[in-house]
Amino acid sequence: MERRDVLDRGPWYENKWWLIVLIVAFFAAPLVFGEFYLTVLCEALVMSMLALSFNLLFGFMGQLSFGQAAFFGLGGYGVAMLMTKTHVNFWLSIAAGVLVAAVVGLIVGFFCVRLRGIYFAILTLAFGQLVFFIIFKWHNFTGGDDGIQGVFPPPYLKSPVSYYYFILLVFLGSTYLLRRIVRSPFGQIVKGMRENTIRTEFLGIHIAKYQLIAFVIAAALAGLAGAIWVPFYRSVAPSYLTWIKSGEPVMAAILGGPSLFLGPVLGMFIMTFFHAWVLGFTVYWPVVMGALILVIIFFLPGGILGFMQEKLKERETRKQRGDSDEFAEDAGDIKSIR
Amino acid sequence: MSFDIIFSQFMSGIARGSLLFLVASGLSLTFGVLRVLNFAHGSLYMLGAFLSYSIWKFLLMPLLGFYVAAIITSLIMAGVGLVIEYVLLRRLYARGWPEQLLATYAIVLISTDLVKWLWGGEFLSIPRPKPFTGAVFLFGFPFPSYNFFVILLGVGLVIFLWWLVYRTRLGDIIRAAANDREMVSALGIPIPWLFTWIFVIGAMIAGLSGAVTAPFGSVALGMDVEIIVECFAVVVIGGMGSLPGTLLGSFIVGQVYAFGIMFKPELALAFIFMVMAVVLIIRPWGIFGRPER
Repeated sequence: MERRDVLDRGPWYENKWWLIVLIVAFFAAPLVFGEFYLTVLCEALVMSMLALSFNLLFGFMGQLSFGQAAFFGLGGYGVAMLMTKTHVNFWLSIAAGVLVAAVVGLIVGFFCVRLRGIYFAILTLAFGQLVFFIIFKWHNFTGGDDGIQGVFPPPYLKSPVSYYYFILLVFLGSTYLLRRIVRSPFGQIVKGMRENTIRTEFLGIHIAKYQLIAFVIAAALAGLAGAIWVPFYRSVAPSYLTWIKSGEPVMAAILGGPSLFLGPVLGMFIMTFFHAWVLGFTVYWPVVMGALILVIIFFLPGGILGFMQEKLKERETRKQRGDSDEFAEDAGDIKSIR
Repeated sequence: MSFDIIFSQFMSGIARGSLLFLVASGLSLTFGVLRVLNFAHGSLYMLGAFLSYSIWKFLLMPLLGFYVAAIITSLIMAGVGLVIEYVLLRRLYARGWPEQLLATYAIVLISTDLVKWLWGGEFLSIPRPKPFTGAVFLFGFPFPSYNFFVILLGVGLVIFLWWLVYRTRLGDIIRAAANDREMVSALGIPIPWLFTWIFVIGAMIAGLSGAVTAPFGSVALGMDVEIIVECFAVVVIGGMGSLPGTLLGSFIVGQVYAFGIMFKPELALAFIFMVMAVVLIIRPWGIFGRPER
């Protein structure tokens, strides 16, 4: 798949005013939405964090992780177990959940970053299933397939609206942080590894080290998403760690467009709201998701944002061609290469 | 630990390894030639298991029912494989591997729901077929004779695949295509035709192995993911796309599982992964695999 480097140029939809309007709309959402749609919105925000963490590896580093849900689940289990079994403070539990995900990410990543392409995907999938399997079987420690119920946030976050604002703030904060990371020199190295691993290595960059750092960051972000989701949902179950769950960020990234920073977020929002709507009349969500994947692959390669970007660029070049001569056309081409 | 326990675990490991080889060989063959990792291979296996149950029930043949059902299942799954390759995969060879992976993943999701819808969520099983109902005594220790049937089938498949890959014209093409697809194409061999055939053979083996597991009494939803994860361990240890590698990988994983389950059943899978991790550190492309290009 071709990924153009639109990542560091601010794309059209990341215009400052757009973003401000969007953020204001998010803050105003509880005034408009009822409790059901607010819940869906919370889920979309949390899952978007998971999708962003996936896309740090996929869109930026060029490695497809099929086990991202394991870190989501680990963050969630960390919080749930600390809060129900040892009654640790809410904020400390969340920090611990993130830490658990990051540490496991460090261990798993140590093996995974040795591999490229399809092998990386297999290994992340396999490790994800391993984490799932251990949590699922270790009944007297994790509750097995019953999961853990009764995870309550502190009183000031009990109402859905206040928890929504909490999730929104965490989402905005972590997205901003991730954006900074992606644009930092570290982010440039990560992108360099995607474009050409061998050349990047020849520049004296220790590939495995940088991939491992990115892997741990992604694991921590996924863990944070799981950690803030579980107290909202009041419970955690092993199904959070399955590869079905891991497939969701993959699909969201492909749907929204993996080459754009906010592409996975758009994909996840569409998917979550679509999911909420589909569940209204059928329990067979996976088959709908499977069909959707095929539709995207065959009809929307590059994702929605990628598709729009393409169209916009086409129109731009057409406009340039319309009112200028051949030389201007060349210039337009050079511009699009840069 | 006494000899009889070790020996019986060893034998059950062999049986498990044999079953793993049945499934993983199809996966490895498909990957070796098509360079497409078929996530849906486990789903084909699961579909095969459920289908063979229904066919067996429909046939009502006390003696040969299981065998006939297994053969019919393999043929049906070959047809399913043909459809999947022809309708979906064929259009994706020119694309990147993430899209191919996602397409097979979509098949996993669809077939999971299909099975849930058609057969429900219960555990199903077929009684062990006729000459393999009892036990066989080896060095005075009893073993289920059906395990020997599975082992024999595994050995049979090894011989068949070895013959197919190293002794037939198709095998020459397979090995050549695994090395240099463009050169094979330039020599006038229709690559799309080859890919279809390989995928159909892979799907057929998956269906057959699904039918073979039915008498173990484990036909249920989720068996697809369970087997595919172990198969990934097999091919990663042995080397993707290598027949001897798949054989060795199946043997190792079967043994590690059999002895791991004796120490701590919860961690049986973890032991397999530890072996995988060690192999990955020493040889990231697997014992018999080739380094990535």
